[in-house]
Amino acid sequence: MEFGFTIAAYAVAAVLFILSLGGLSGQESAKRAVWYGIVGMAIAVIATLTGPGQGLWFASLVLIAGGAAVGYQLATKVQMTQMPELVAIMHSLVGLAAVFVGFNADIMINDISAIYAQQGQVLGVLAADGYSAIGLPKEIHKGLSSFGQLIAKKTSVEITILQVELVLGIWIGAVTFTGSIIAYGKLAGRVDSVAKKLPGGHFLNAGAAVLSVVFAAMYLAGSGSFTLVLLTVLALFIGYHLIMGIGGADMPVVVSMLNSYSGWAAAAIGFSLGNDLLIVVGALVGSSGAILSYIMCKAMNRSFVSVILGGFGGPAGEQMAVEGEQIAIEADGVAAALNDADSVVIIPGYGMAVAQAQQGVAELTRKLRAKGKNVRFAIHPVAGRLPGHMNVLLAEAKVPYDIVMEMDEINDDFPDTDVAIVIGSNDIVNPAAQDDPNSPIAGMPVLECWKAKQVFVSKRGQGTGYSGIENPLFFKENTRMFYGDAKASIDKLMPLID
Amino acid sequence: MKIGTPKEIYAGERRVAMTPDSAQALKKLGHECVIETGAGLEAGFDDAAYKAAGVTVVKTAAALWKAADVVAKVRAPNDAEMKRLRKDQTLISFFSPVADEDKMGQAATKGATVVAMEMIPRISRAQKMDALSSMANIAGYRSVIEAGNNFGRFFTGQITAAGKVPPAKVLVVGAGVAGLAAIGTSTSLGAITYAFDVRPEVAEQVESMGAEFVYLDFEEEQTDGAATGGYAAVSSPEFREAQLAKFRELAPDIDIVITTALIPNREAPELWTEDMVAAMKPGSVIVDLAAEKGGNCKLTVADEKIVTENGVTIIGYTDFPSRMATQSSTLYATNIRHLMTDLTPEKDGVVDHNMEDDVIRGATIAHAGDVTFPPPPPKVAAIAAAPKKEAPKELSAEEKRANEAAAFKSETKQQVTLLAVGAVLVLAVGLVAPASFMQHFVVFVLSVFIGFQVIWGVAHSLHTPLMAVTNAISSIIILGALIQIGSSSTLITLLAALGTFMAAVNIFGGFLVTRRMLAMFQKS
Repeated sequence: MEFGFTIAAYAVAAVLFILSLGGLSGQESAKRAVWYGIVGMAIAVIATLTGPGQGLWFASLVLIAGGAAVGYQLATKVQMTQMPELVAIMHSLVGLAAVFVGFNADIMINDISAIYAQQGQVLGVLAADGYSAIGLPKEIHKGLSSFGQLIAKKTSVEITILQVELVLGIWIGAVTFTGSIIAYGKLAGRVDSVAKKLPGGHFLNAGAAVLSVVFAAMYLAGSGSFTLVLLTVLALFIGYHLIMGIGGADMPVVVSMLNSYSGWAAAAIGFSLGNDLLIVVGALVGSSGAILSYIMCKAMNRSFVSVILGGFGGPAGEQMAVEGEQIAIEADGVAAALNDADSVVIIPGYGMAVAQAQQGVAELTRKLRAKGKNVRFAIHPVAGRLPGHMNVLLAEAKVPYDIVMEMDEINDDFPDTDVAIVIGSNDIVNPAAQDDPNSPIAGMPVLECWKAKQVFVSKRGQGTGYSGIENPLFFKENTRMFYGDAKASIDKLMPLID
Repeated sequence: MKIGTPKEIYAGERRVAMTPDSAQALKKLGHECVIETGAGLEAGFDDAAYKAAGVTVVKTAAALWKAADVVAKVRAPNDAEMKRLRKDQTLISFFSPVADEDKMGQAATKGATVVAMEMIPRISRAQKMDALSSMANIAGYRSVIEAGNNFGRFFTGQITAAGKVPPAKVLVVGAGVAGLAAIGTSTSLGAITYAFDVRPEVAEQVESMGAEFVYLDFEEEQTDGAATGGYAAVSSPEFREAQLAKFRELAPDIDIVITTALIPNREAPELWTEDMVAAMKPGSVIVDLAAEKGGNCKLTVADEKIVTENGVTIIGYTDFPSRMATQSSTLYATNIRHLMTDLTPEKDGVVDHNMEDDVIRGATIAHAGDVTFPPPPPKVAAIAAAPKKEAPKELSAEEKRANEAAAFKSETKQQVTLLAVGAVLVLAVGLVAPASFMQHFVVFVLSVFIGFQVIWGVAHSLHTPLMAVTNAISSIIILGALIQIGSSSTLITLLAALGTFMAAVNIFGGFLVTRRMLAMFQKS
């Protein structure tokens, strides 16, 4: 089919992708929006397969079918609590694909140069008009693949730009690849989630980045493809080392950042291939990830740079000493308070996901709601390990989304709340963020659950959370600690609610 | 002890300080009750009712004063009653320590104890005995009724077959207890009610009663009412001017004005001037609840109703509570009964006049031969001082507009700066890059722009699906691999094939998992 038709199909696909992202503004429209995305993707792939210059379409279909089978397995088998891991590993695939496509472009440039050389010509020399390049003889040009033809027509300036683009695409893709794999490892618990750095810390990263620039310059100066390989190795190292240096609590930012990178990589590749749809989608995904990172950083009151540089900055001074003691309580005490309460707010965190307690929590909610109590959930923007993680878990457990509130919606209601239950969250309910200017999390917006008449904290044991910050909430007079695995605790609680 | 209530001597006073109900409650404290014959008649309680409640009825006032250890009455004692007051007797009544200074001295010399109901401190614990509040409540209610009685129209607006009736416009000046009661009564009758008070912190209370608070365009540190025990303080001349100007502006539109502005132990401030009265429509009504202290309107004649030349009725009655004697007697008697409860902590019928107690100390103006007025400041602050805060509502319309304009300006500035920087960058790229690149660059810039616009609208709870979906569509990179796969170079084909496979995994995995997640979001 004609090239014009392919471009038209891309335009349709681009519109569908934009609608697909825009539709996520509401739960109901989102269900329709995802179909826009699917249809857009189908149109784009079919248009490319049937478009000019595509050989091996049967092999492509087989590969796509194979990928579909694997993707189906992944998507249907995954536990909702493992969603962050899945998203992270999928980012790594996009990154790697970008690296491959980028290398292909480089190989293609070399091939075309070789063909020019055979003809006694040089790739990219300007024709007499000063704008277009002197092309190959017609019959040879016809024999090239469409991508080959695209390159063969380019002038030397355009070739340089193409090389800049593919360097960017490969570099970002490689960082995304190893970064996502490490993020996956940390989220899945296969890599220690504590922030770790090789000796030299940020200097290693900075050094690697400087070297990358040097190699990129060498590559552009025509030193040959080996510089590109070296650059890729450096980028892989940066991706690994950068994410290793970021603690588990910052994972929401990391995952959205990698999401953004995978988009920019696709956009860069789109430039080198001269493919507008790749550019459009890459830019959409890139900006989406950037906004998510921004929202997450804001919710933690941390600058993007400090998250990327890893670890919490040292406290400005002596942290306030926490006075009092943690008072434990048993299931019957919690049940009695719940039976008396009229309004209950539940604050879930990563601990609920780890213990797979969301079904129990949902069951408890149904039971309490059936008795006419006002039960709501308060979700901090960075609760869990992925933006919106808790919402997905609660939705999975069939908690109606209209009782799941955002931090700003519910923070004012705590003084009128009888019982607040904190399940597996820590820093997001830490009053030190407001009271102690020396706390590492000072100024971070938190859920003010301590204003409720009574607070129960379901927690595995004493000790600090991911960030290692002492939480004065646990020592407050109206706080009782309900120790134990979240799931087991909720199961114990359930029969006592009448 | 014996608690006695004489018949009120003051002309026109119909209230009584003891009701059969309160007497029964007093007996539970171990007291005996005595009443002068006919004391409750005007308030609707006859002697038989008292007798039925176990109260001894005595024939004369003299006999009563002789028999009672504690005399509870409404009005301050007159000279005859002062003579009857004897050593060790306790008198509970309204008793202004400023106006009746001589009497206070006499009582002290006699060795009698006087508890002035006016002097009950305004603290939460003492609310149940705060007779000023309970009487003010009645006065406020009655003032509206009295105004309605003299007003020729409906309060509420109606559209009837016989024509349209506009609602009455009522202005209540002073939003104390009486003012708030007046506001409540007026709004429930259906009038459009405005209210003013020098204490801006009462605006919230006013609005909670359904009236509109009249704000002044005035900048001054206004005294927090909490500093003066919840009462109004004297305001500066500038403030007064601003206030009068506002009233002058309102006067022609207002049908009924109810003024309740009183400052403790002072002449009532003049708030409704003669020119305002002149500006009012004929048939309008002014009820001056401050008439006893000279009136908020200088035309007011205490205890009388007058009609001005331009047909405005000015009511200066000072006996509103007395006009609702049954209601006010019930409330007043209950106030007295609560006071007695505090005076008899053991409930054994023995009065323990504890001068350490904030409430009792504050209200006692003569005790054990000494004048004990003025009392030391109470240990508990009357009302917790409200933290000074900028009331945004007090901004005038101009200031609000100015603020908005400033915010708009800074926003514009920020946006223009960003746009300028962005435009310069794009132009700089355009200077060096060839046209074929710029075509794609335009697409890129527009897409980033659209991306930013669209993503801000995504619901927080859908961030995980958003990531999954962007992940799926970022596999659009499959297009690059698909274009390259048909190459003649085996290496390219191999890498492109791998790329195709991985992107396909991502496409299907990403979309399927998004669908799975979205299907779970359910409404209750």
